[in-house]
Amino acid sequence: MENAAIFGWALLWILFWGALGGVVTPRIYARKDLEISQASFGGAVIGAALGPLSLVPLWIATPKITSRLIGIAIAIVVGIFIVAFALADPDNLCVANGGFVISQLANGIVIGVIYGLMALGLTLIFSILGVVSFAHGEFYMIGGMVTYFMTAEWIPGVSPIVAILASCVVTFAIGYVFERIFLRPMGSGEIERPTEYAILVTFGLAFFLQYFTQALTSAVPVKAQRFFPFPSLELPGDSGAFLRMTPGNVTIFDAISVPNPRFTAAVLALLMLAALLWFLYRTWVGKALRAVSQDRQAAAVTGINPDSMNTLAFSMGAMLAGLSGASLVQVFSWLPQVGIPAAARSFVIIVLGGMGSLPGAFLGGLIVGLVEAAGTGCIPDATRAAAYIPAYGMVILTLVLLLKPTGLFGREL
Amino acid sequence: MNRSRTLTWIVVSLSILALMLAACAPQAETVGEAEPAAEEAAAAPTEAPAEESEDMSMEPIKIGALAPLSAPGAVVGGEAMREAMLIAAEELNNRGGIMGRPVELIIVDTEGLPERGTAVVERLINQDGVVGIGGGYHSSVGVAAKEVARDNGVPIVFAETWNDTITSVQYDEIFRIAPLSSEVSAVDVKFIQWLRDENGMKLEKVVILTENTDYGIPAAENTTALLDGAGIASVTFSVDIGTQDFAGIIERVKAESPDMIVTLATGEASYNFTQQAADAGIGPQNVPTMCNQVSLVSDAFWTNVPDGNHCFVRRIGLPQQLYNDVAQALVAEYSARTGKDDIESYAMASYDSIMLIAQAIEDSGSTDPSDIIDALENINHMGALGPITFPINRSNTPDQAGVDPKWWHQFPDPAITIVQYQVEGQDATETTVVYPEIYQTGAPIIVGQE
Repeated sequence: MENAAIFGWALLWILFWGALGGVVTPRIYARKDLEISQASFGGAVIGAALGPLSLVPLWIATPKITSRLIGIAIAIVVGIFIVAFALADPDNLCVANGGFVISQLANGIVIGVIYGLMALGLTLIFSILGVVSFAHGEFYMIGGMVTYFMTAEWIPGVSPIVAILASCVVTFAIGYVFERIFLRPMGSGEIERPTEYAILVTFGLAFFLQYFTQALTSAVPVKAQRFFPFPSLELPGDSGAFLRMTPGNVTIFDAISVPNPRFTAAVLALLMLAALLWFLYRTWVGKALRAVSQDRQAAAVTGINPDSMNTLAFSMGAMLAGLSGASLVQVFSWLPQVGIPAAARSFVIIVLGGMGSLPGAFLGGLIVGLVEAAGTGCIPDATRAAAYIPAYGMVILTLVLLLKPTGLFGREL
Repeated sequence: MNRSRTLTWIVVSLSILALMLAACAPQAETVGEAEPAAEEAAAAPTEAPAEESEDMSMEPIKIGALAPLSAPGAVVGGEAMREAMLIAAEELNNRGGIMGRPVELIIVDTEGLPERGTAVVERLINQDGVVGIGGGYHSSVGVAAKEVARDNGVPIVFAETWNDTITSVQYDEIFRIAPLSSEVSAVDVKFIQWLRDENGMKLEKVVILTENTDYGIPAAENTTALLDGAGIASVTFSVDIGTQDFAGIIERVKAESPDMIVTLATGEASYNFTQQAADAGIGPQNVPTMCNQVSLVSDAFWTNVPDGNHCFVRRIGLPQQLYNDVAQALVAEYSARTGKDDIESYAMASYDSIMLIAQAIEDSGSTDPSDIIDALENINHMGALGPITFPINRSNTPDQAGVDPKWWHQFPDPAITIVQYQVEGQDATETTVVYPEIYQTGAPIIVGQE
């Protein structure tokens, strides 16, 4: 970094005024007997954005801190961060190479969509059952296993779509059986300490699934072939190729490149997301699920059976994890431990997005995907850039929790 | 009443699950535990001579064995090592054991993690009572495990841990038949120079992908320094062991426009990187690439890296045509068990590590670890890797011999060759030996040169 001091001062500016805004603003709003739920978070981002130039008017006028105001402030903070980085390290690929930046963004969005889908399952389970499933990574692993073994070993030549559907069925069924046997007693008050019980029993399921799978398949890594290889083609443009496709990759303008397996996995994830949204918002059962997540007792009064919704939510959550694993088994090598990092990332995402929030989980996935891509691509030290991947999401999570303990879209408890 | 019904359900279900797992035990790589089935197989004297059958009923001599049998360790390597070490134990027992006593081999899973390695070595020594330990794949495990061995005075013969410091600390208990990391780096760079000087390959910049371990970091540093000395620029990217997603790094690698890529990451991370690079258009068919040696497990390699043709792979050990009788017998048995045509170098070294400990016990006539260490220092063992000795030892210290301390208790002659996959789906045994020229079976195919 050529001018590290510029970046350092900018960070110091953001942190100092952000901290001051976060601490002082809620006090001022409380003294004036105003709504303070957003005061800490809003004060922090507004302070970080323009320092005294924005904080002083905020403290004098004490306007209602809306999501729009917060959004504008966040955009300014991100802008300051980017400008400071560009001034500090003008030769960095993230500053000097537009194609590189767009490729990284594309990769971040693609992987973020898949993270989001994975986390959606976890947050769906939490929102309905109030249970954090520690076996979520193992459902991801099972989804990948079923898809790989169906396409490569059991029925070679079978359509990947069939294999993915099979993995959905298998993970849904395991989730269904597990919920009925082990989690249903929680709903009927048969368990004295349901929170601890849920943690232990889902941990138990995770260990069982992982080691049972290892016993069945061994731990040697395998990978499915590309589901839908691109055709080889090239569309010439004014300067170079506008679109170049090989079976494994698509390149646009000779600059933006997205590998085929990621592209198809992201498309599958988006299709599944659309189907999920349709189900949740357009069908009676989906509306019933949402009703239970909002108020269990009220939903029961209207004739919805909360126990059935519990079973459905857990099974669907498991299926979403399985679907993520199935779509990514052509991207990453599969082995019985493949779900561990995926689950860890999902936990970060749902806490970041707000426990139980479906939009929060999806947005959290996108944020984590983009931050990981930006960190990996832009950290100047090549020997550290990728080594910090697990830390990028944690940094964002820590910042968000400091300012908004309920996460981005979490409900106040 | 309700709670007791739930508990009953749980107990019944767990029992069923446990039974199912138990039924699968012969196929399972028991994680972190000695393998009862395997141990029994290893300890069973199948064709012992009649006069030895009485002695073979004596208390077994326990030998420990380290292998990564679950992620994030290099499971492909661990499973190969496990098989070879089981062959060694079985062979010893078929010969009548050691000093007439059966051998019990206790294989433990290090998971490729130093903290796990420390725990399992501690357990092997203090709970299982092993008199020596063989195997070992990941350097970070070796670095951690050597301290436990030293604290307890029990010898370890490392088979595949390359980090120089494992021997350079000059612990009496630590022996190694794997090559030194710095020596491997030297061969890598000599090969790269040879490609440039003798084959006319454009080689101005090399990208190194390494892992954040006690193997990867020093290996990358050594390689970088040697490349620098050869007038070749290099950029190193490091990742955590077990990393899956390389998309961001691959874009950076592309932006560097390297003339060659060297992969020092092990296990499935090396597979993931190579295939993801191929998807992005900088795979082994686009840019000359040195893949990690787990690529020599052909089935796993082609399953995980279908676009991996033209990978250069470093191979430790002699080429197949130069195998001695021990190696040929081992390959025959190994092939019969695994269906593979050849044996991986680390599997061969693992076999030798167990056999070395066995011979040291025979030579010393004792199971006292300090006697075994004395015997190892003076050993002359004809192994699958060739004649194995440890010439730099307490009676011929590095200072006296005028050599670097890294040669302490180090097998000095592991052969290193570079092979290349030249046909898609090729078996590792059929790869072309491209370097050094003395072993060469064909010319290298150099891709991506304009």
